[in-house]
Amino acid sequence: MAAQLNRRRFLSGVAGAAGVAALGSACGSSSGRTTLTIMGNTPAEITDQDVAEFEAKHPDVKIKFVTVTTTLLTAMFAAGNPPDVVRDQGVPNTPYLVGRDLALNLDPYFAKSTVLAPDKLAQVNDTWRYDGKVQGQGPRYGLAKDYSQDAMVWCNTKVFDDAGVDPPSTTDPMSYDEMLDLGKRLTKRSGAKYTRYGVNPPFDVSLTAGFLNMVASSGGSIFNDDFSKVDFSAPEPRAALEWYLKYATAKVGPTVSRPFPAGAWPTFDGNQLGMLGFGYWFSGEIATDPKIQGTMRFIPAPQFGSTRVSPCFSATGHWIPKKAKHKDEAWAFFEHYFGGPPATRRAESGWGLPGITTLNAKLPRGKPYQKQALDVQDKEFSHYSVLKFSPYISVTAIDASLSQELVKGLDGGLSAGKLADAINGTLNPLLQLGKELIT
Amino acid sequence: MTTSVASRASTRTRRRTVETSTGWKRYRARTFYGFISPWLLGFVLLTLFPLGYALWLSLTNYDGLTGRYHYVGARNYTDILNDHDALHALTRTGIYTAITVPAGIILGLALAVLVNRPIRGRPAFRAFLYLPAVVPIVGSALCFKLLFNSDFGMLNNILGWFGISSIDWLADPTVFWVMVAMTLWGVGSTMIISLSGLQGIPQELQEAARVDGANAWQVFRRITLPLLSPIILFEVITGVIFAVQAFIPALLLSVQSASTTVTSVPQSNYLYMIHVYAQYFAYGRFGYASALLWVLFALILILTLIIFKATAGAVFYESGPDEQVARRREQSR
Repeated sequence: MAAQLNRRRFLSGVAGAAGVAALGSACGSSSGRTTLTIMGNTPAEITDQDVAEFEAKHPDVKIKFVTVTTTLLTAMFAAGNPPDVVRDQGVPNTPYLVGRDLALNLDPYFAKSTVLAPDKLAQVNDTWRYDGKVQGQGPRYGLAKDYSQDAMVWCNTKVFDDAGVDPPSTTDPMSYDEMLDLGKRLTKRSGAKYTRYGVNPPFDVSLTAGFLNMVASSGGSIFNDDFSKVDFSAPEPRAALEWYLKYATAKVGPTVSRPFPAGAWPTFDGNQLGMLGFGYWFSGEIATDPKIQGTMRFIPAPQFGSTRVSPCFSATGHWIPKKAKHKDEAWAFFEHYFGGPPATRRAESGWGLPGITTLNAKLPRGKPYQKQALDVQDKEFSHYSVLKFSPYISVTAIDASLSQELVKGLDGGLSAGKLADAINGTLNPLLQLGKELIT
Repeated sequence: MTTSVASRASTRTRRRTVETSTGWKRYRARTFYGFISPWLLGFVLLTLFPLGYALWLSLTNYDGLTGRYHYVGARNYTDILNDHDALHALTRTGIYTAITVPAGIILGLALAVLVNRPIRGRPAFRAFLYLPAVVPIVGSALCFKLLFNSDFGMLNNILGWFGISSIDWLADPTVFWVMVAMTLWGVGSTMIISLSGLQGIPQELQEAARVDGANAWQVFRRITLPLLSPIILFEVITGVIFAVQAFIPALLLSVQSASTTVTSVPQSNYLYMIHVYAQYFAYGRFGYASALLWVLFALILILTLIIFKATAGAVFYESGPDEQVARRREQSR
């Protein structure tokens, strides 16, 4: 009997197939593995090996990655379906996240953990603590996968040799003005075309952190006492703005209105940049290019004011949203990623200082540049300091405002005072809005 | 009388057809709605709902992340009037629109006239001229950035051969003209539309004009251009709508780095949509950014109406006033 496929049978078939598929899907989710959603960088930061090891240890959990973007994170929170683990920077974001009641208090998990006992954690992990008023105190909300003292500087001695200039000291910090002067002597350009850049000051991780570092060194702050207002017109922030304008006018390195056309790494690796304001983590990049390893020199963070400070700008790591669906699985991932074999491998690679103190011994020392960098780093630890951020505004907003006003200021030849007024005018209403929303 | 008999007969026939028809034809209305339902669903979910949601957001101080937010009435709309950056962005967008829309239409029409002529290799010329319009804009922007790069771009190298000092093309104020050039690089799409318009013009009209002694310019001005006017109006309206919403060219041409954000776009390329994007995702002002979008929506509507009104007497629709009067007479009988 030849079955005739008429429309009704076709539609019944389609409906049946859809039903079976739906049933199958339902069965799969009820009896299958838990999906742990991680907003993280893979495979660069969370490698395939890290995932495979975790899934082998926890066969009932499957990891799914989503791209790290603020846009997606916002959309997922708005839909009431946040990721289970989120990549972020602890230094600038912890007060903001906690102020909005977004992050899970991890203290109960730490209390039970042997892998991640608080006494094993490096000091930098305190940037992930916030008690509602002071960053560095109170409950823990996240962990740093690794960190650096980001105002430190790498020198390319070949560029110095080509320019006939002596590289700066590896023991005493240079001042920002000395750094600018060296930059002028190293720079070689004709019109708008550079064949050699002098310096890329430590603003690349975050423009805001770069300024906060300078202001902290002068003993000032951009914020008032309760972090509800900024004042860039105060003497210390204004001096930092003046230095930036002086640096931009000297045309010795990238600015917000004229970044490196080819990026900082390629320019430095290509022997076209003398000084690069990156922290220890850059040794991981140097390890990938044997050609430049013989010309690398790591030096202390330059000093802007009277106090020597050397803060961490980011403390990149992860946090668990309060509304995450799989909190226990997320913590299991934390223990594996921050305290297990992935943490050891990261330490051995030289891509940053480990968040677990015992892993410092695993940092690479085999090559002369690695040994030199670690010798300088060991002395720099004693100048470690913490930058202070406001819970009322995101660092993205401060970066955006600084960037926008500096572009206007550089193009329009504005003075530091006018720039400060413009930045205050943009940021203070945003701080006011943030305060309205969370208090 | 004859008409009403014919109409009754037609109705009877149609009813019989419906009664005797099988399958989908039995349910014409339901079939119609069934077929357009995906579009209707898309329109409601992806256009009407977001519009309404954005309108609601524009009346709040929502920051995109905090669950708590408040109704602020029209405050976001009044804030726009005091936002110098928004007004600056609107001005830059106006200048960009005023340059790229007419230039694109004139250039597209000129190219269409050229490739409409009976020349050897015409299909190849058409393909080459249209090609940039199908290249993804990211690819075009990358090429333009390489070409205009201050350190290793081809243009500065050429200037160097003549001993001319290098120029920072991708910075203010030159970067604006790079963006204009990049926009006009995709003029092939306007050329294709104008070409189809040109090919729809009856040859006999142009031949008659030539027989009457008109030269090429007069034929173009008196015959071709009036008959192309509906096409040009279409190009103006779609061009303006496209230009005031321009975002990608400005963003792609800006040199981004770790320490820069969307707000680092050079001031001459700081278009309205860049400002909107910055308010949403850099400053987290979802309510204010939604108000900016609603203002843009209203602006586009007003601009479209103005263009329609301003060109009412200049566009020739082939069915001119005489035909319209005749049609009305026919209907009144």
